[in-house]
Amino acid sequence: MKESYSLVFNIKRFDPEKGKSWMQTYRIEAGRILRFTDVLRKINKELDPTLAWNSSCEHAQCGSCSVVINGRPMLACELLVENAVELFGTTVFTIEPIGVAPVLRDLVVDLEKAYDRVHRIRPFIIRPSQNPNQGQEYRISPRAMEGYLEATRCINCFCCATACMSSHRGFMGPNAVMASVVRIMDPREDATDERLQQLYSEEGVYRCHTSKACSHVCPKEIDVAHFVALAKEGEFS
Amino acid sequence: MAVRSPQTGIDTRISKLLNGIPPLARFTRSRGVPFVISWAHRLSGLLLVVFIGFHIFTLSALTTPAAYADKMKLYQLPVLAFIEWALAIPVLFHALNGGRLILYESFRCRRDDVLLDWAAGLTLLYAGLLALLMLLGNQNVSAVFFWLIAGSAAAAVAYALYARIGRTAHAWSWKLQRITGAFLLVMIPAHFLFMHLGPQMARDAGLVALRMQNPWIKLVDAALVLSAVYHGAYGLNSILNDYVGSKELRWVGSGAIIFVMTIAAVAGLRLIVSI
Ligand code: SF4
Ligand code: SF4
Repeated sequence: MKESYSLVFNIKRFDPEKGKSWMQTYRIEAGRILRFTDVLRKINKELDPTLAWNSSCEHAQCGSCSVVINGRPMLACELLVENAVELFGTTVFTIEPIGVAPVLRDLVVDLEKAYDRVHRIRPFIIRPSQNPNQGQEYRISPRAMEGYLEATRCINCFCCATACMSSHRGFMGPNAVMASVVRIMDPREDATDERLQQLYSEEGVYRCHTSKACSHVCPKEIDVAHFVALAKEGEFS
Repeated sequence: MAVRSPQTGIDTRISKLLNGIPPLARFTRSRGVPFVISWAHRLSGLLLVVFIGFHIFTLSALTTPAAYADKMKLYQLPVLAFIEWALAIPVLFHALNGGRLILYESFRCRRDDVLLDWAAGLTLLYAGLLALLMLLGNQNVSAVFFWLIAGSAAAAVAYALYARIGRTAHAWSWKLQRITGAFLLVMIPAHFLFMHLGPQMARDAGLVALRMQNPWIKLVDAALVLSAVYHGAYGLNSILNDYVGSKELRWVGSGAIIFVMTIAAVAGLRLIVSI
């Protein structure tokens, strides 16, 4: 097992002042258990302090460091150098920003804009249903919860939306569809019809072609396509 | 570290095959095998739309048997016979993969690992059977009997799907796309098979015209034309909606698709009625 690797990072850069984008190559030596965020930080320190990228928690919980690595949307904070070399069979990596929102600079995208599509489906309980146990907490049976628990792991990193076969122009995106499906499956939600109307609109599930790229790339290992397909099945209507 | 999702890290024969082709492996690795299959579905669908137009145009010569016979002579050329046979592969792949998608989306069948191999295996089996029939060229069957069986089977499959999705809150345009898909899943492979049972089945203008005078055959052919045209038009429109951002351009594009596909449907129906 190698202790360190000589990596080549071809990074897509964008300068908003000049409106110019270009590919820049960085050659760097990196230890096998460094994460891609560590390598980017190393580039900042040793080669180029102007390279902009995004991260926050660096524990795969906030979804802010999503980038496209050799064509695959991934979280830079959980990709170890040695795993990347094994996965892609190379030490040369092309790194681009995710494509679901306008690029602000280099690898940083306007996440506010990306979140707009999630906000549009209102990822909260729109109309609370009557609590069968008045005066007590709302109890959800474990069986009902089991059906959608997996989907609640979503961190809105937009890797699925970036990988989706349908473009981002007309589709609300797999994570937004899933967020709405989760609320429909939640017995506390009463606004099923409203939600279905949105899901069965042109920007809803009809834009999904069950290519399952969303499930393939999801860093939280959620079978996103399964939840999108639940909406298509029509069981909720 | 999550580089492989258990849900889609499917281990099928077809995925091994695709992983072995470097330009495709790039996509199977970054987006998964079903992603590559979905693109194949989309591209084969586009090919089939072109083929439908071409097919209706060829058949329109049936009204003048001499012109039809001339066109059919072309199909005796080995290269064209080969292309005709090769077309069966995308046709059947599109049909069977469409069946897989219906099972996934409407019947909650998540066994893609099994279904993908079946779709690929049956496509090859069918192509082999078709090649054999084309080489033998000596089979015959009563057209009414054949289409009674195939038409009823197709209607039953379409009805089974209708029973499942008919009452849901989905848009009717979407439901119809799925239902025509289920109908065509049986009808198109049956059509290809029937036409290649023997050379006379499709090439003898007199025989084709005689067959098409039967009301049942007329009904089956009309259903086939309408379903294929609708399914193709919806597919094209779907591609348009997926990738064209501007609403105005989408309207223009949809108008053009409806216009062209309506012409194809009218031409097909006119032919069926006029014979
Ligand atoms: S479903 Fe998975 S890939 Fe998509 S936004 Fe949520 S965590 Fe990210
Ligand atoms: S399954 Fe649907 S939502 Fe998921 S990537 Fe494919 S097209 Fe997009």
